[in-house]
Amino acid sequence: MHYIKNLRQYGIFIVFGIICLIISFITPQFLTVSNWTIIITQVSINALLAFGVTFVIITGGIDLSLGSIVAVAGVSAAMLAHPDSYPVLVPVFAGLFAGLLIGAFNGFIITKSKIAPFIVTLGTMTIGRGLALILSNGRPVSNLSDSFVFIGSGKIMGIPVLIVILIVMFILCSLILNRTILGRYIYAVGGNEQAARASGINVTQVKMTVYSVSGLLAGLAGILLTSRITTGQPNAGAGFELDAIAAVVIGGTSTTGGKGSIAGTLIGVLLIGVINNSLDLLNVTSYYQQVVMGIIIIGAVVLDSMNQKSNS
Amino acid sequence: MKYTYLILISLLLFILGCNQSESDKKNDSDKIVIGVSMLSMQNEFIVNISDEMQKKAEDLGAELIIVDAERSPLKQIEQVESFIAQKVDVIILNPCEYEASSPAVTKALEANIPIVNVNSATKVQPTAFVGSNDVESGRIAMKFIAEKLGGKGNIVMIQGLNGQAAQIQREQGAKEIMKQFPGLNMIAQQTAEWDRAKSMDLMQNWIQSFGTKINAVFAHNDEMGLGAVKALQDAGMKDKVIVVSIDAIADALQAVKKGDLDATVFQDARKQGAGAIETAFKIARGQQFDKEVLIPFKLLAKGDVDPYLK
Repeated sequence: MHYIKNLRQYGIFIVFGIICLIISFITPQFLTVSNWTIIITQVSINALLAFGVTFVIITGGIDLSLGSIVAVAGVSAAMLAHPDSYPVLVPVFAGLFAGLLIGAFNGFIITKSKIAPFIVTLGTMTIGRGLALILSNGRPVSNLSDSFVFIGSGKIMGIPVLIVILIVMFILCSLILNRTILGRYIYAVGGNEQAARASGINVTQVKMTVYSVSGLLAGLAGILLTSRITTGQPNAGAGFELDAIAAVVIGGTSTTGGKGSIAGTLIGVLLIGVINNSLDLLNVTSYYQQVVMGIIIIGAVVLDSMNQKSNS
Repeated sequence: MKYTYLILISLLLFILGCNQSESDKKNDSDKIVIGVSMLSMQNEFIVNISDEMQKKAEDLGAELIIVDAERSPLKQIEQVESFIAQKVDVIILNPCEYEASSPAVTKALEANIPIVNVNSATKVQPTAFVGSNDVESGRIAMKFIAEKLGGKGNIVMIQGLNGQAAQIQREQGAKEIMKQFPGLNMIAQQTAEWDRAKSMDLMQNWIQSFGTKINAVFAHNDEMGLGAVKALQDAGMKDKVIVVSIDAIADALQAVKKGDLDATVFQDARKQGAGAIETAFKIARGQQFDKEVLIPFKLLAKGDVDPYLK
């Protein structure tokens, strides 16, 4: 019963199914294992960003600095990942730490200054981009060790590492949101901040946590991207935050906070990935691709809201 | 609030102070001052041009003011306006766009300040142009593919950002050569916005839909060429598909040396940067100068790259 209720709640699952069905009729290559492996690896980076920002958006905030964090983390990791320099854990921790640091900085400024998250993260977006350029002198950082490159293109028991990481993070994030006290606090803060505060929830701490998690996951995304394209690029990740936010919104998370799920976000991410993939398979001109993408984003959200109205 | 004012006032004084010292410097000497507006300092190739300009300017004893237009033609026009207000001797423009950066050229010429375009063109003719003809780079790349394939085969093209001069001209050059070889087929073309990760995704998707039908890839820049190489390697297809791209950035040279990338077309950032400063210097000194300095491209396949690796 629980699952049926969930399904009805998220009309987007049905929309996603229908779109996949239509595409698989038009193009026979779509429903193959190899194609789906590619789709899921391609969306894994956006998925990590989207998972992180889901936490933030549920508390009623926003994080625009994701793309820049990807660049800072990617460049910092790449600089420490040259062959015969450090063991692979060092660049990985450096990247994660860089992400965590910027995320915590976001949280700190937002909770201490009461400035809108939109403005604070807009600021860190620019700062981050500048830092990435300073660190790398405006040039891509190349010549990475094999063990670092393995993260982005290796396989564990036939499954690409990127997909393994995606699955682990999906489970972890879902558990945090659904099965922990922190998860309940996150929904509470987004639902009604005053009420949450009155009932004794440490709102500052919750917000610090969600922005730090968002930064940490963006740092991980930066490491994966760098490893996948085998170079740390200071201009990488520009505009990634918009893709991530689009996926979260498509996935049914309310931008005013208090409502949303990691599963919904995953479907949002997959929907964007499937559309990109199938339009390439069909060799649709890139001009049309952008128009189609926009229509589907709006269409999916409209369908979802109609479905929810009819349920309530 | 008191503190806010204090901070604002001290910031203002600081900025004024900076300006003061800069204009003092200019008045001190007869040094030639050249204002430079670059397309984007986040692009390795453009950074190389700008580095070379700086070196050349030091040699000639000219003062450079280099600013970054961050790919925005609007910002570029504003930067040229401020150069005009500062009364620099010459302006060097590395145009963001063919049409949209043209007003910058017009404004400089109206203010009687000579302007030199470097690397790419604008619709309005500047005082002088230093760069390469991008159509030629497309021809060179496609000719290499045609030879390798014996004039017969299926090609996919990964394009730069649609509508930019480099993308339009590289596509034009490639298509000119394809007309001479009716056996060559363009089975797909799509933009990957000059970006390595996007190109890798695109190539993976194409491998799904065309598979072994693909014989060659022409990418409008090295970043995208390298993305395509990575996707082909992951699919175990690299040894059957030829990949050629343009720019000869350091990563691409390494890849050509290893045999991963089949060829890259060398665009000479050093000569472009140095040439632009030389031309600007000649104009400022009232010496004779060439209205168009064309720096030739060069195809680099395996075995040619060693002298170019630093």
